Amino acid sequence: MTFREAAARTILVVILLGLPIGILGYRYVLQPFLSPETTFEVQAYAPESGGFSPAVIQVEAGKEVTLRFTSMDVTHGVAIGPGLDAAIDHIDPGEQGEITLTFDKPGTYTYYCTTWCSADHWRMRGIIEVRDPVNPDLLPQVQSDPVIEGLLEEGIDIDADHEGEALAIAPSAARGGDLIESVIVPDEVRQVDWQRTHSPAEALTILQTQNASYSDAELRDVIAYLWMLNTTSTVDTIQTYNQNCAACHGESGNGAGPAAYLTADVPAVFDDPGYMFSMRADVLYAKIRRGGMGTDMPNFGTLFTREETWALVDYLWLLAFEPTLNE
Amino acid sequence: MLNQKRHVDLLTAFPILKRLLRSRSFQPGMMLLTLFVFTLVILTGLFGTPAGSRNFGIIFVWIVWWGLLIIMLVPFMGRFWCSICPIPAPGEWLQRRNIITKRLPKLRTLNKRWPRRFKNMWLQNFGFLAVALFSVIILTRPQVSAWLLLSFIMLGVVLSVFYKNRVFCRYVCPVGGFIGLYSMTSPLEVRVNDPSVCLTHTSKDCVTGNEYGYGCPWMVYPGRLDRNIDCGMCMECLKTCPKNNIALNLRPFGTDLTVQKAHKLDEAYKAFIMLACAMVYSIVLLGPWGELKNAANMQSLPHWLAYATGFLTFVLVLVPGIFGVFSSASWLLMKRSLPLRKVFIDFAYTLVPMGLAAWVAFSLGFVLINGSYALSVLSDPFGWGWNLFGTAEAPWVPAAPQLIAFLQTGVLVAGLLFSVQTGYKIAREQVGRHRKAFTVMLPNSFFLTLVTVVFMWLYLG
Ligand code: SF4
Ligand code: SF4
Repeated sequence: MTFREAAARTILVVILLGLPIGILGYRYVLQPFLSPETTFEVQAYAPESGGFSPAVIQVEAGKEVTLRFTSMDVTHGVAIGPGLDAAIDHIDPGEQGEITLTFDKPGTYTYYCTTWCSADHWRMRGIIEVRDPVNPDLLPQVQSDPVIEGLLEEGIDIDADHEGEALAIAPSAARGGDLIESVIVPDEVRQVDWQRTHSPAEALTILQTQNASYSDAELRDVIAYLWMLNTTSTVDTIQTYNQNCAACHGESGNGAGPAAYLTADVPAVFDDPGYMFSMRADVLYAKIRRGGMGTDMPNFGTLFTREETWALVDYLWLLAFEPTLNE
Repeated sequence: MLNQKRHVDLLTAFPILKRLLRSRSFQPGMMLLTLFVFTLVILTGLFGTPAGSRNFGIIFVWIVWWGLLIIMLVPFMGRFWCSICPIPAPGEWLQRRNIITKRLPKLRTLNKRWPRRFKNMWLQNFGFLAVALFSVIILTRPQVSAWLLLSFIMLGVVLSVFYKNRVFCRYVCPVGGFIGLYSMTSPLEVRVNDPSVCLTHTSKDCVTGNEYGYGCPWMVYPGRLDRNIDCGMCMECLKTCPKNNIALNLRPFGTDLTVQKAHKLDEAYKAFIMLACAMVYSIVLLGPWGELKNAANMQSLPHWLAYATGFLTFVLVLVPGIFGVFSSASWLLMKRSLPLRKVFIDFAYTLVPMGLAAWVAFSLGFVLINGSYALSVLSDPFGWGWNLFGTAEAPWVPAAPQLIAFLQTGVLVAGLLFSVQTGYKIAREQVGRHRKAFTVMLPNSFFLTLVTVVFMWLYLG
């Protein structure tokens, strides 16, 4: 055999055997062995084409992992919750985006799409099971929510139809701020806990008994102001609302987002103060976390922390009582 | 006969080129290179990201290779690709039991005879249509692409076990068919310098092979070669011919199209299929009908079946049918002096430059727009987050988007002129006199203009 022939045969073997063995061996054997970081490839399809693939990922707590999302059809956005502050705003078709993070605590987390990608957009979710390396069989279950439990105990039906009353003058927190010094407000009504378990309408009944000289409209202004006092909303809350709620409820809370026409039930209108005035914050909270039965309102309890949920509820009051603050 | 004066033998003009092409290492060397890329394509297709634009396989096959092939190689170098293609390589080396040097006097195969009824382009025609029907899927799904290419290479090996030579390339490969057809327009050809030398050369080493090389793997006799369609430009004859009679000529474009005695229905249909497919692709991929694209994408089986039926009817019946009406007009204009079938087949060859131009124009669009993906997949072929050459994050930059429409128009117009000229030459050979030829070719020219207008409308909106 000539030298050329031998060289050509060697090259052929390298191409047909060396290349595959080298690359696949490196990728599937050597790399996982050498580097502690684990990378998960997730393909993002619109929900009707399958949603996230894979839809369940298992990782170990305390280990750094990278999730690389590839958008397969339309633009998607990705966030992981609850309480991780991990998100990619948007991934265009064919593009990729990575999130690298370490899950400190075992439990169940959710990655979900944050861009209105299809009519079934909200179904686009995947689950990350974070297991304790010491005790991998035990996956902490989501604890029951005391707020929702409380409502059930109280006998309040979260899904009951809620009719507001039409108000001639929309309450304004700004005007209420001017009156707050002269109106008598029981201490209790200023407390977060009280406000979260009572409707503004109930507050009105209390204020009426002690402030006979003020009109109902004036007292409603004061209550609007009081309801703003303890707000936990931040700029992030606005983004959360816009990414997750606005498609149906509208950015201004007018109930007429681009997807509103698709839902089984008409989306709630948060910028209608009459509707909101007789609403309880904890009921809103429960609806967000648990979803609305038969209305197409998805559950967000697996995406947001309880604090984030309260901040969202507080933002709804803002939309109701001071829509101009929204800007 | 052909106007030999307008041909320049590159091998005489550039002795170094002759040395290169005579060397037994050049062709296998190139094949090893393409085989390397091919293996990477298969690996990335099977194991890499399913996102097409991030997958080396998809980008390098359907943008880089395709662009290179249809925009550069076929129009200017004919079947040159066939001489460096990796697909027949394993089969060929297996037959020869060697890669570079010539070792065995005979090829090692089971020596079956290739059936006579398949000694034509029909298998390639239907193979191409089969691939074309699934093209939207194949073009976007790396795994599907990889399996398809793997099946090609497997088929190549299997056929080489049963049959001698490049039977796969010549009669089966769906790509080989249209490369052959369009290579007839190319300005590069392998021919003999002096056919009379061949006539008197009794041992015909180019057919039988000798210690310097193998008998023509494409089963062609160079001494009578007058069209590029069946010559794989492998340069074995250059190595074997003891009379130094082989030339690699530079010649005017499209010389082979008017070789009428060779005109055949299978090739005519290849021309229809290619032209019609270029049109269907342009309509499906560039047209404003999203529904059509979804159907082609196999949104659901009934949708796809409807698409497939429409596609096949358009390609196999409608386009040849309409063309038939125009060639019937030519036939009447020549007072039926030739059989209608001959007129129909002869004029079908005018679709070759037109079809090639349409493919070039169509490909220019997506190759220039998406070519920049090549940079990022080079660094991260599998979409695994690698960055081999630091270009993984290279942005998607469409090349010369404002120019594309101009280029497409230029190519289409050139194709039209070229086709009309071919039509005239064919008519001239059919009826002789200039005036009569001019009348006879008119319906055909009208058809060609119509086709060009449709393409322009599709590309320029
Ligand atoms: S070996 Fe050369 S001279 Fe002889 S027939 Fe072939 S091409 Fe012609
Ligand atoms: S004619 Fe010569 S170059 Fe062409 S395929 Fe045959 S041996 Fe190769």
